[in-house]
Amino acid sequence: MDTVIKLTSQSQGRDRIFRATQYACALTVYLLRKNSEKRDLVDKLKSLEKNMSAGRKLFRLGNAVNSIEAAKRSVQLSDRVLCLCLTAANVNRALYFICDNLVWASSVGLLRNIDRDRWNLNASRCYFYSLTMNLIRDVYVILQLMLQRRKDARFKQKIEHHLNESSEAAEVIIPQLDAFVFVLLETLRSHPTVALDTVKNICDLFIPLDKLGIYKSNAGVVGFCGFISSLIGIATLAQPSLRIKP
Amino acid sequence: RTLAITPRACRRQCPSLKRDTGRKQKLVVNRKHKRGFPLACHSWDELRVLKSVEPLSGSRNGFGMDAWVRFNAQSQSKDKLFRAAQYACMLLGYTLHKSKAASDLLKTLSDLEKHLSLTRKFLRLGNSVEALEAAKRAIHLSDGVLRLCLTISHLNKAMYFACDNVVWAGKTGIFSKVDQQKWSQRSFRYYLFALLVSLTRDIYEICLLMDNEARNQSAKASVSVNSSHDPPADCLSSLATSSRPPLMWSWLLRNFRQVVTVLQNNPPLLLDLLKNSCDIFIPLDRLGIYPTGPGFVGACGVASSVLAILAVTHPWLKLKP
Repeated sequence: MDTVIKLTSQSQGRDRIFRATQYACALTVYLLRKNSEKRDLVDKLKSLEKNMSAGRKLFRLGNAVNSIEAAKRSVQLSDRVLCLCLTAANVNRALYFICDNLVWASSVGLLRNIDRDRWNLNASRCYFYSLTMNLIRDVYVILQLMLQRRKDARFKQKIEHHLNESSEAAEVIIPQLDAFVFVLLETLRSHPTVALDTVKNICDLFIPLDKLGIYKSNAGVVGFCGFISSLIGIATLAQPSLRIKP
Repeated sequence: RTLAITPRACRRQCPSLKRDTGRKQKLVVNRKHKRGFPLACHSWDELRVLKSVEPLSGSRNGFGMDAWVRFNAQSQSKDKLFRAAQYACMLLGYTLHKSKAASDLLKTLSDLEKHLSLTRKFLRLGNSVEALEAAKRAIHLSDGVLRLCLTISHLNKAMYFACDNVVWAGKTGIFSKVDQQKWSQRSFRYYLFALLVSLTRDIYEICLLMDNEARNQSAKASVSVNSSHDPPADCLSSLATSSRPPLMWSWLLRNFRQVVTVLQNNPPLLLDLLKNSCDIFIPLDRLGIYPTGPGFVGACGVASSVLAILAVTHPWLKLKP
């Protein structure tokens, strides 16, 4: 109960819970779309999803400032690649929030002359760039960790042991690939923060890919991926040790 | 700004800085940032020294953004900001209606107000649980009256939030069979009762403080010969003996100056009293008990939201418990 209260008192926690519910509704609507008996429930879920989406847009009104502050902090990082990736990601995220706020203002009626669809697309584009930069950062961190691991003598023994024991199996076709995959899995297992962040970013990526038309999946996939990424977000907020740093 | 200088170094640099001789130290730098060094500043030289020292972190604007990030992190503070916006729309709509402004502007304001109201209901979806937890914590207070008042107030707020959630579900079409009017009235009734109990708690705190003041004064005057006279009016005993409201009001008026002094010395109590007094007009209007009109309700709503935001940005202004 304490964790729930702590989560709901933070605006990020509340937003992620609502996001999880929104995408769960989207997923359920997709799964029940062929079921004619549950049409009432489907309509209610659609209405709930729409209201949640609109409510979350209002709730996001001041978040551009948060992203700019994060960008300022990431400029001061020592590692150049990390600095570049994170700053670009945060700047794009700030632009995404600004576009999103303009779309909200237009939907409420405060700004009448703007083209809502165009700004929606702009917002999706900025979000897509931000997620891409975050993914590049994840890949960079994983590669660094893998290189570190390979240099570790004990770990070399482990690889040798793994390759030798599975050489009887027919699956080992390319030993280097097998070693690579083994090192990758070991790295991800020992660094859950990076693994969670990577999974979250990959799941999140499907949403703008669908909206921009680059890779059109269906509403069910989008709902499922959004739900998984929201759950991971809630977990990292509830357990700060699971959060990737910086 | 965070200063990169200790008080000793500052005094060394500026010879006119006097040693602190036990006078109250005042914070020269902005009170809001965490590492302000308290210094007794007596001249423009000292101020120049302080201003010339390079700040450790953040630019001049950095403080503003940092404060917003901290403010934004709490969902309650954002809710209060939206509440201020909602009642400002109501107030603006009323004043523009009076001055016969363009109808599409009025429509925009009215739509914005409805949107803010509905979205705030949505954002309040988890607050019943928080209010119940606060009630659980309030049960452990030592003072009996405070314990009673706070527990009842939090329980009523929990019921208000629960009814509010039902109204939201009805408005968005999730539960289509909800009688929105009935549940809305119910929620306002709980809200009114919670505010009344909070006001009672404020009055009780005022009485306690006045009691303390009176005791202090009588302790100071205890050496005088005339100490055999009746002791200064004891707030609680007179409240107990005089059960009729007119007697209590005349007593309060008599001791008005004392009340003002007590409130001046206790800004959190004053803030809470003003906030609850402004808030109470909203359910009174909605329930039809004392209809005042959208202009007055909007003004009261804006005032109480601004006071609530002040209590968030300045935590020392929050009434504890």
